Amino acid sequence: MNWIILPFLLPLVTGLACLAAGVRTPIRRGLGVVSAAAQLAIAIYWVARCSGGAIYTLNIGAWTAPLGIVVVIDLLAALMLLLSAITGLAAISYGIFETEPGKEHPLRIPLLQFLVAGINLSFTTGDLFNLFVAFEIMLIASYGLMTLEASGRSIKHAYPYLAINFVGSALFLCGAGLAYRLFGTLNFADIAMRAKQMPDDPLVYLLALLFLIVTATKAGIFPLYYWLPKSYPIMPAPVAALYSGMLTKVGVYVMLRLFCTVFPHDLTSLHTTIAWLAGATMIFGVLGAISRSTIRGILSFHILSQIGFMVLAIGFFTDLAITACILYIVHHIVVKASLFLVGGTARHLNGTDKLDDMGGLWKVTPVLGIVFLLQAMSLAGIPPLSGFWGKYLIVVTGMELQQYWLVAASIIASILTLFSMLKIWLSAFWAPEPREGVRTHVRGWKAMTGVPAAMAITSLVIGLGVPLFFGLAQTAAKSAKDQEAYARAVFSFEGKGERIVP
Amino acid sequence: MQLDTAILIGLLFGVGIYLIQQRSFARILFGFLILSNAANLFVLSMSGRPDGKRSPIVDQYTQPSVDPLPQALILTAIVIGFGVAAYVVFLLYRLFLEQKSANAHDLFNQVEEEEGTE
Repeated sequence: MNWIILPFLLPLVTGLACLAAGVRTPIRRGLGVVSAAAQLAIAIYWVARCSGGAIYTLNIGAWTAPLGIVVVIDLLAALMLLLSAITGLAAISYGIFETEPGKEHPLRIPLLQFLVAGINLSFTTGDLFNLFVAFEIMLIASYGLMTLEASGRSIKHAYPYLAINFVGSALFLCGAGLAYRLFGTLNFADIAMRAKQMPDDPLVYLLALLFLIVTATKAGIFPLYYWLPKSYPIMPAPVAALYSGMLTKVGVYVMLRLFCTVFPHDLTSLHTTIAWLAGATMIFGVLGAISRSTIRGILSFHILSQIGFMVLAIGFFTDLAITACILYIVHHIVVKASLFLVGGTARHLNGTDKLDDMGGLWKVTPVLGIVFLLQAMSLAGIPPLSGFWGKYLIVVTGMELQQYWLVAASIIASILTLFSMLKIWLSAFWAPEPREGVRTHVRGWKAMTGVPAAMAITSLVIGLGVPLFFGLAQTAAKSAKDQEAYARAVFSFEGKGERIVP
Repeated sequence: MQLDTAILIGLLFGVGIYLIQQRSFARILFGFLILSNAANLFVLSMSGRPDGKRSPIVDQYTQPSVDPLPQALILTAIVIGFGVAAYVVFLLYRLFLEQKSANAHDLFNQVEEEEGTE
């Protein structure tokens, strides 16, 4: 039994087992929850094992790198695995409380598991083409899951998502081909070592630019974000929570991995481009959020402005900025997914999530109100909540680099985030009860509140225990940027035909 | 230099992108298919000029063979592309059933209202 492949294999096998269980909902749900809990345990194990900065590799089928497919777990990948396990567990358990056993679509849990399998493989792979395959596993599962329970009128919003990702995949394939032509290898570590030997080659720039476009499509960076705010609101709350937490962050993670571990670090003009695109993403996302009048619409646009923060940190590209980016990803995934779940519960209680028709939730359920307020303030970046630290570090780095316009953009985005969070708070929680009253007879809404409440506690822990998480993020950033150590870990694997690091 | 292949790939990409932007679902579908094949052809061309090289089948090594890896890559990509294309067909058909129209322009130019109610 090899533990490195388990974060990919376990959800895949669970998904197949759930398919075999067919329409027997209790078996499917039981499998889903047990497997998600096991994934969480495995992820915690990996974070603990990698926390010193160690890198673990597995050569699949004992074919050594660079010929074979290699699976790598370093601290950054382990942290991402932990986050995907938390979000997966939250999505499945919320779905169990929300939907009656007979009404749940028999394919929802299997597809969720396949989606998580694809996400986890893209975190752990050390090979460009394997990354393409992981993306496709993830995308095909996500296409299916998105349209599975969408109503007739809204299903058209899945089309832009499909179309842009189809084009993105074609570009990714071209990028993989170009990388093979340029370097004669698809292995991350091998590409990193060979790219060093060809400084100032315009083709390396071209390749990096191609992958910037591909990851920007996945992450929803300006100007490639049109699909995101349209398609996320059509999904049921737990699925939307998983998508909002994980799918765009896979794009950010791959951008982080490629620009830190694979491509040379001196692509300064591309880094500047990334930073300015991130600034535009922040502003457009937050302005879009202000124009929306439903909770799901507002939260979907806010994903964009938060993505802007992470990508801005990648654009700055100092050690501190990468640390801030990782810290921000950790904070964001937990907070964003739980806000979608709070929005889902509020929608059940009011029968709608149009802000104009909502109200009275504070009187009925102060717990939900407190959870929302905590997470919303954290999203806006109020100290000492978890969102503050990442933003603070990004602003500090921006000041050090004298990028005052970008710093100004990020501060404006934060203030406007606070504004639209207060809009939700005032209309849904503080406003008087609507005429029909609050639907307290909705099945299981108290249990549903429990899931985002647990995530709110997690994000409080991140915010208050920031020295620990800052240390983890710092080690993760250091080991992600250390291309030599990565290559040493990948090539020193004991196997036939051991290879010396070039 | 593989100028002929490069021109063909460029042409296929152009045709694919043109077709995706059309209104009829059938043309959009063909656009996607052509686009994925253009990408496959691009990867295939990365194994270099095949003139005078034999196919990469292991027998006697008398003459140099073409690089087999891009072929292996597009084999995977073709299978994946096939799966996604099947999904595109399904989605477009379902859109047609729901909206009683096979015209993307009609579909997305309806008056948009945000759906809040269940």
